[in-house]
Amino acid sequence: MITVEDLRKEYRGVVAVAGSTFSVDAGEVFGIVGPNGAGKTTTLKMLAGLVEPTRGTATVAGHDVSDPEMRRNLGFLPEESPLYEEMTPLSYLRFFADLYGVDREVAGRRIHESLDELELDVRNRPIGDLSKGMTRKVAIARSLVNDPDVLIYDEPASGLDPVTTNYVLEFVRELAAEGKTVLFSAHNLYHVEDVCDRVVIMDRGDVVARGTVEEIQDTHGTTEYRVYTSVAVSDSVAVDGRYRTVVEDLDGVEAVREQATERNGEVLDIRTVEPSLEDIFLDVAAEDSEA
Amino acid sequence: MNPSTVLRIARWEVLKGAGALDRRRIVAGVLALVVAGAIGGAVAGGDVTHDAGLYRVGVSPDTPFHGPVSDDPTFVVEEPDRAAFESGDLDLLISGGTIHVRNDRKGRAALAELRTTVLRYNDRTLAGEPNQSAAFPVEVNLVYETRDGETTADVGGGGGDSSSGGDDGGPADGGQSGDTTAPGGTGGDSSGGTGDSSLPNVGGQPLFSSGQSGSPGDIQPPFPFGALVLAFLFVVPMNFVVQAYGASVLRERIDRRGELLLVSPASPGEIVAGKTLPYFAVMIAIAVATAVWVGGGPLSIAAVVPIALVFLASTFVAAMFARSYKELTFLTVTISVGLTAFLFVPAVFTEVTPIALISPLSVVVRDLLGEAVAPGAYLFATLPLYLSAVVLFLLGVGVYREEDMFTQRPVHLKALDAFASRIRSAKGVAAVTAALIPFVFVGELLLIALLYALPLEVTIPLLLVAIAAVEELAKSVHVYAGYVHERFQRSAGAAVAVGAASGLGFFLGEKLTAIARLVQLPELPLGEAAFTTVSGPGDAGLAVLLLFAPLALHVVTAGTTAVGASRGARRYLATYLAAVALHATYNLVVVSLVA
Repeated sequence: MITVEDLRKEYRGVVAVAGSTFSVDAGEVFGIVGPNGAGKTTTLKMLAGLVEPTRGTATVAGHDVSDPEMRRNLGFLPEESPLYEEMTPLSYLRFFADLYGVDREVAGRRIHESLDELELDVRNRPIGDLSKGMTRKVAIARSLVNDPDVLIYDEPASGLDPVTTNYVLEFVRELAAEGKTVLFSAHNLYHVEDVCDRVVIMDRGDVVARGTVEEIQDTHGTTEYRVYTSVAVSDSVAVDGRYRTVVEDLDGVEAVREQATERNGEVLDIRTVEPSLEDIFLDVAAEDSEA
Repeated sequence: MNPSTVLRIARWEVLKGAGALDRRRIVAGVLALVVAGAIGGAVAGGDVTHDAGLYRVGVSPDTPFHGPVSDDPTFVVEEPDRAAFESGDLDLLISGGTIHVRNDRKGRAALAELRTTVLRYNDRTLAGEPNQSAAFPVEVNLVYETRDGETTADVGGGGGDSSSGGDDGGPADGGQSGDTTAPGGTGGDSSGGTGDSSLPNVGGQPLFSSGQSGSPGDIQPPFPFGALVLAFLFVVPMNFVVQAYGASVLRERIDRRGELLLVSPASPGEIVAGKTLPYFAVMIAIAVATAVWVGGGPLSIAAVVPIALVFLASTFVAAMFARSYKELTFLTVTISVGLTAFLFVPAVFTEVTPIALISPLSVVVRDLLGEAVAPGAYLFATLPLYLSAVVLFLLGVGVYREEDMFTQRPVHLKALDAFASRIRSAKGVAAVTAALIPFVFVGELLLIALLYALPLEVTIPLLLVAIAAVEELAKSVHVYAGYVHERFQRSAGAAVAVGAASGLGFFLGEKLTAIARLVQLPELPLGEAAFTTVSGPGDAGLAVLLLFAPLALHVVTAGTTAVGASRGARRYLATYLAAVALHATYNLVVVSLVA
């Protein structure tokens, strides 16, 4: 549904995106994560046709991103969603539906359905009077007025309280369940880990890791072994009357067991800890920085 | 461009604007309309009485001055009380055959005004005489001549010197004396035939300074004050409308509000057209209402259309360049003042010289005066503005995109961005150069209008240098922008090629100046100097030379500045000055050859 091939963007000599390549399948929730300045937003804007790539190609729903027709099948949600405060949610959404050429009756039904699903009851007050969470919901509803196959959301939960954030993420999952392709970026890696089928990690304009969360964990993460012993061994710390030693492989586990036996102790418990996406992200970013 | 999309955006702009209207803005708008209406009503009614009741005159009913003074609202008629005069309550005291003038500036001004008033009164009285031949025994047809002796316009009309006496009086300037006697008394000049005692006389000065009667020395060029003010009423509301328009465009850029429109199927051109349309419609609606009100016809409205477009286009560009509302205000005020000066100053000379036609407001003035305007003259007055508006909109639309709209850069860098947005190749350079010709044309015409009153020996060299500066800027500024944005290779060969393209584009676009022939502007000495390339000389060899020499000139100078632009800002400035010097020298040589 989305293909990106060597996509690059330079702003007056400064490289924002160095040359990304990835693809997103239909019905997939795809995440782009990375620190500030990684090139996430620029990548999304190039895919939305807002920013002209310096090099490379990208297609969305079968259209080149430079083709205005592409936008008819796209719902875009920017990180900030300053709407027209003097308009009401209904008039605002109707205008955009009109702009997309959606039949008025269909648009009216679709708008109310979206607002119902988003549980936004305030529909005829000026948008300027709404809370940030409500405004974000209006912006999300706007991205759906044309019933697009592809949704590109830049930090959809940015600045929202935890309750609204969970609501928005749940809504994203529902959209994917309905068959829509969702590409979104996030700072909060737990959100991505929780929602996305696949992920790319970007840093300084480069894609530094890609795949499912599990694949990235396998490729870039290191499983930890936490060995609990009845006696202290080298590098162990006391925890609740036991001694915990963290090692990176089974050889390390064996070494701890031998030390404990030599000191008339025993291994009480061994636990494996899989790395989170955030751990991997920090590791990868650190490696990239050192490089 | 899809008209339905444009209309949808236009409707949305109206809805959005209506939502933003608060009571304060509505009141301010209504007040502005009322003020404009009051001015228009006063002028249309011919009773601009900004000096009503200015002077207090003590005049007895038995003097012939009572009638004129009573009829003129400038004066307040009082009892001829000597004590009041001496205490300073009266500016003039007319008693018997004597006019007493208060010995200060206001008293002297009152006396001067009295002369004018008496003149008008006498004219009216004489015009009412059944025997007009007796009233105006001499009729003069007034024919205006250009300075080189060619007849350009016949604005004459009936005129008569009734010699109504009064030239035999003593010094009545009142400048030194407190009292002035009107020796003419009630007329009685032997040559004047104004023995009618109802016609008062103020001695010492000509009674007639303008109008239908007077001496040749009193003849002044026609100044269509009333029509000019009325024509100006078409322009005044535009200044208010563009403020709202500029703010609306800038609001799209502040806080990135317009980003979502950019990701919709609407193109930037459709968005801009849709946003502009309601304001244009309001301007035209006001123009139509104004025309109906002041008696203008379709021609007035047709002349106002390009004015409205240029106001909107320049405001749009300003709103695209400005970084804040403060900066936008500065830019829009500058635009309003500049455009108003461009429109108004030439229109003052509507009845004097064809140069006035560089302003569409002159067409409005002529229409209001009931004069015909040839299609060529209309085209001459409006085409440059139509083209300028188109070019400005194109430049603005060029930066109506995510990458430029929301960045905060100084105005001059934004201008370079706008130029660069239209340049991808040497062909693009030629096209942009040609597109800038209307600005060159307008600039050069404005220079002519500003300089034409000076002596020719000063004006023509000054004009030729100024024209060179304008033309070299038009040929090079976008080339420099292209280099700033790395559009071209920085080698000398590539720069020369880009410059040559710009020179060629200018040469071809310059042929637009042939439109000047529509109003015979080249027949004026200044017009000849400005548009030499289209007014070829009689000698065939020289004609061929002058036909192709401009091409060589433009290619060489544009190539020079392009090489400078490829080497940075300082080199560009240096080569620009060199190009201006070369171009000005060429202009002087050509003018001397033609002369």
